[in-house]
Amino acid sequence: METDCPKRPPSKVRFPERAVPAGPRRRQRVTPPRVRWADRTARTLITLGGLGTIAAVLLVGLFLVWVVWPLFQPERLAPAARAAIPFFGAPLQTIVDERSTMFAVVFGDGRIEAYRADTGERVATEQLFEGGSNGERLSAWTFSPRHGTFACARDDGQLCMGRIGFATSFVPPKQVPRDVRLKLDAAGSGASGLRPDRVRPAPRKPPSEACAVFRSGILQKTPEGQYRLQQLQVEQQAPLRRKGQAPVVLLDQAESARGRVLAYLTADGRLHVARTVERKNLLTARITVRLREGSCPVTLPRGQLPEYLLLSGLGDTVYVVWSDGRLQRFDTSQPQRPVRAGTTDLIEEPSVRVTTVVFLAGRTSLAVGDSLGRVRIWFPAKTGQRDAADGAVLLCGHQLWASRAAVRRLAASTRSRLLAAAYADGAVRIFQVTTERELASVSLPRSERAVNTLMLSPRDDHLFALTNRELFAWRIDAPHPEISVRALLGRVWYEGYPEPEHVWQSSSGTDDFEPKYGLMPLIFGTLKATFYSLLFGAPLALLAAVYTSEFLTPRTKAIVKPTIEMMASLPSVVLGFLAALVLAPVVEEVLPELLLAFATVPFAYLFLAKASQIGCRELSAGIGRHLQRLRSAGALKRWADWFIPLRSTALRERWHTAGMILALPLGLSLAVWLGPRVERWLFAGDIMAWLDRQTGSGLGAWFLLLMPLSVLMVAIGFHLWLRPALRPVAASWSRQAFALLDLAIFLVVCAVTVGLASCLATGLTALGWDPRGTVVGTYVQRNALIVGFVMGFAIIPIIYTVAEDALSAVPASLRAASLAAGATPWQTAARVVVPTAMSGLFSSLMIGLGRAVGETMIVLMAAGNTPLMDWNIFNGFRTLSANIAVELPEAVKDSTHYRVLFLAALTLFALTFVVNTVAEVIRLRFRKRAFQL
Amino acid sequence: MSLQTTSVDSPSLSPAKDSPADQPHGAVLGGPGPQCEARQEADDAVPLSARAEIHEKVRNEPCILEIESFSLWYGPKQALFNVTMPIPEGKVTALIGPSGCGKSTLIRCINRMNDLIDSVRTEGDIRLRGNSILAPDVDVIQLRKRMGMVFQKPNPFPMSIFENVVYPLRIDGERNRRVLSEVCERSLRDAALWEEVKDRLKESGLRLSGGQQQRLCIARAIAGQPEVLLLDEPCSALDPIATAKIEDLIHQLRGEYTIVIVTHNMQQASRVSDYTAFMYLGRLVEYGPTEEIFTRPRLSETEAYITGRFG
Ligand SMILES: Nc1ncnc2c1ncn2[C@@H]1O[C@H](COP(=O)(O)OP(=O)(O)OP(=O)(O)O)[C@@H](O)[C@H]1O
Ligand SMILES: [Mg+2]
Repeated sequence: METDCPKRPPSKVRFPERAVPAGPRRRQRVTPPRVRWADRTARTLITLGGLGTIAAVLLVGLFLVWVVWPLFQPERLAPAARAAIPFFGAPLQTIVDERSTMFAVVFGDGRIEAYRADTGERVATEQLFEGGSNGERLSAWTFSPRHGTFACARDDGQLCMGRIGFATSFVPPKQVPRDVRLKLDAAGSGASGLRPDRVRPAPRKPPSEACAVFRSGILQKTPEGQYRLQQLQVEQQAPLRRKGQAPVVLLDQAESARGRVLAYLTADGRLHVARTVERKNLLTARITVRLREGSCPVTLPRGQLPEYLLLSGLGDTVYVVWSDGRLQRFDTSQPQRPVRAGTTDLIEEPSVRVTTVVFLAGRTSLAVGDSLGRVRIWFPAKTGQRDAADGAVLLCGHQLWASRAAVRRLAASTRSRLLAAAYADGAVRIFQVTTERELASVSLPRSERAVNTLMLSPRDDHLFALTNRELFAWRIDAPHPEISVRALLGRVWYEGYPEPEHVWQSSSGTDDFEPKYGLMPLIFGTLKATFYSLLFGAPLALLAAVYTSEFLTPRTKAIVKPTIEMMASLPSVVLGFLAALVLAPVVEEVLPELLLAFATVPFAYLFLAKASQIGCRELSAGIGRHLQRLRSAGALKRWADWFIPLRSTALRERWHTAGMILALPLGLSLAVWLGPRVERWLFAGDIMAWLDRQTGSGLGAWFLLLMPLSVLMVAIGFHLWLRPALRPVAASWSRQAFALLDLAIFLVVCAVTVGLASCLATGLTALGWDPRGTVVGTYVQRNALIVGFVMGFAIIPIIYTVAEDALSAVPASLRAASLAAGATPWQTAARVVVPTAMSGLFSSLMIGLGRAVGETMIVLMAAGNTPLMDWNIFNGFRTLSANIAVELPEAVKDSTHYRVLFLAALTLFALTFVVNTVAEVIRLRFRKRAFQL
Repeated sequence: MSLQTTSVDSPSLSPAKDSPADQPHGAVLGGPGPQCEARQEADDAVPLSARAEIHEKVRNEPCILEIESFSLWYGPKQALFNVTMPIPEGKVTALIGPSGCGKSTLIRCINRMNDLIDSVRTEGDIRLRGNSILAPDVDVIQLRKRMGMVFQKPNPFPMSIFENVVYPLRIDGERNRRVLSEVCERSLRDAALWEEVKDRLKESGLRLSGGQQQRLCIARAIAGQPEVLLLDEPCSALDPIATAKIEDLIHQLRGEYTIVIVTHNMQQASRVSDYTAFMYLGRLVEYGPTEEIFTRPRLSETEAYITGRFG
């Protein structure tokens, strides 16, 4: 602020110089440099502080965006290797190792060979049935990558089980030949192999660059400088004895809680389900495996054997699929007695064939590829309709249709919902099933279109395709494939759900769990908490503010206001704790009484207010006169003034205070007295069972819901019609008589209100509507009602303080003008003060809203934290803030979950930001209208 | 013209300090600040006599309001000393006096606006048509409905001009649009504002200029058709033209309403009022017909004030 006086332009008009007494009184007025300096410093500091604040807020926002950003980055398939392979045709199985350095191939003759993943060089060979290998071939084969176990059937009918895996060992550097060591060292230890980086599983270089073949395995140098050797490992158990001799055509296995389950189809069209029972001989320590099996016939359409047989993850369902799309489902929860559970047509079109069927991770959803290029995801869900034996039906939850070329091969990830598909035209695509997103696609060269085998590496970081002659490898750059805007905000059809829904379920006990990152339930929970707490807190706080600012004497106000503000000093964790551990159990006990208290307490207040009109004025005037006489006579000391107010208005205020203090217990005891009666009348004697829809009708619920409406209607009716009619009466009657009449009218109005509500409720119930399950419904101990109370308690002081300040800031001259015009204090408040202070009242509400939106501890402790989307006031919910508090500590840094939690934080930030901005805009508009004073 | 002096004896209800005679003024109103200085000067210049000089002509008028030995304290500080003052019906009574002498305080007591101030204590009585307005069982709301008040500072409500004017009717529950707009027009015409605002009745009253706002407040005050109109320096914010309009208005309203007007403008007082009361330091000094006060004041203090020697 440059205080240098601008030179005043020489004015034409000459003002007469003020007669200044000559001499020492005249002073040169200059701003001392110290003041200027202080001024400038203060200005700089304030500017810096302001900019700093803005920068801090922006930084927080930017940080959130920065963490969230990778969620929405596009996925990529980057070519990693291409090599010739020394075998031809489709093998039975390929198995990639953890680090994508090698893969094992199982051939139909029982040979198992390991190849380098980057060069296709053969590393090792093993042979199944080594003892009696006389030209038998495998007639059926199954392998479960999660457990590394296989089961196979030979064409001589024998069943065999075993294990194929990759053993990791560390080789002492001395044992590593020099040339190999040099080669590995040259590749650089930092770049060697795959880095065990969980976040970005994709290595910078093509896989296994720093690999060497050593001892029939692959040697790598780890970043720590160790030499890690991976070797193929095959274990095989003795052949199993099984019932019957018909050759096995199809075979699948699953790992149930009670052991391994095998399902196989024999050429005679019978489905066999067997549980393996291991027995350990205590003397020889030998383990013998026996099968405990059952079987049932499969209806063979036109005598054709099915092409696919799949056994679900728990071993309780067998799917048998024909290539024309026919699917038969068998319930095998009791392996000894498989039961047909239903049939489904996977394909409607007659000419379209099923080309491949695989399980997604978790072995619950079937991915079915067909000759039209579609991949459909089917899973069983309980829809409630009881047409199937186990109450479940197979639903087509997703369809991935990216191409017109037939699907040739599908490969499902073992740990996520990734699904790779190879098409007949040589395209290879990778999908995220839950969100139905095509993440990336590549095309194979024209000469090598026919993909025989497609495999996803165990860590989902590489995709391999084997054609007749070549091997292709791609690196998958998809750190957060589950996330898309639709998955976050839209309804998503999750596995096992009968329809698309908004669900938040970020983790679960099992690894193959489908994470559900629907933010909607959390946003909903936040809004629900805010809504109910404002519903409870805002009217109380605003009315209290109006009452304090307009009706209390300054002296009383000086006590009341700080007292209410003191409520804000209660830490929210204490409030939450009280809510969860004290209030919730109590409310559960006295719910009908509590609901009644909402009606009886205001009733008691109004009743006492009306009743005190009778005689109060005269009485207080009389007492006042008497006291005044005492006071003038000097009989009362000054300090008695506060207790014994002399002015009759102040005395009346005491009366009102006393009335209010009395009204609360009166209302409450009325509620307690009425509670059981009302419970019997409306809620069939047990409100919990009634809310749960076990007993009673919708009458009570309608009554509850219509009561406020009825109050509103009666109040409006009263003001519009009855009041004008009463006005002439009021003029002619004496005050006492009118007060009596008023009381009588009040009682009648209350009765009418109740009557109206019950009439409407009866009518609506008679129509057969029952609102239970919407705004009221099954009672959960920690629910929105509790949160509404306690969070209402938390926001009352905030709203109250700001609102009271806003009301007090209304110029006294306006109040005086209104009162001088003959308005009652209430009219003044309602017609002048409140409209004038509207912007302030509004911002008080918004501040309360902001607090409610961001509040964490109370909802965390008292809301039950169930991410449901249910307006039911008696049900729990989970807010964005509570969700962050609960889950962030256990989220792995930089994982999808972690970033989604940051997204929730960003959403919260945006929510409050939008609320505040809108509030500010509206507030300014109000202010422009009202505050041109 | 009788030169008879009427003295009002004060029944000593209050302690002795109420008696103005034995109270050094500096001690009563003593406080730092320029006003204090001014008073001190005034004290030197104009000695106060103990009793108010009330001209006989005033006492002969039928009066609507009687202020009887009225004293008022703001907390420990006394602002009005034993004021006795009848206010004639249907006439314009002007209150003049230097700043801070209690004119506003007195006029606010007439419709009990001082009730709003918590620390106020009063003694004595004010009667409206013979009934005490200070009695405990008086319905203050009803009392105020019988009076219209215009304050020193314009204070229109943040509502439309129309709503501002009809506010007294609104709070009485009047909903008939026709009645409302009739009253609105009549009041605005009376307040000499109609021509200026008739096309923008829906606009906010706060958009008006200060002078217009003051006339709006006057319109609001007369919309309720009160018996008494209390004007506390209604023209202090107005230019000469608006002032002239309001003075015209007062002339028009004379007879219909009893008007009490506080003013610092001697010319205005002499132009508009029938009676003038001169107050000084919380006391009524001289009260009589306007032309007498202005032409032949009986007390030297009054003369000193009117001729502008102080104040
Ligand atoms: N609310 C109040 N609380 C305490 N003292 C007050 C209050 N209002 C006025 N006073 C005091 O009472 C005395 C009379 O004030 P009042 O407003 O009546 O003066 P006035 O004659 O209207 O002056 P002016 O011509 O400047 O408006 C003053 O000394 C003032 O300080
Ligand atoms: Mg004044």
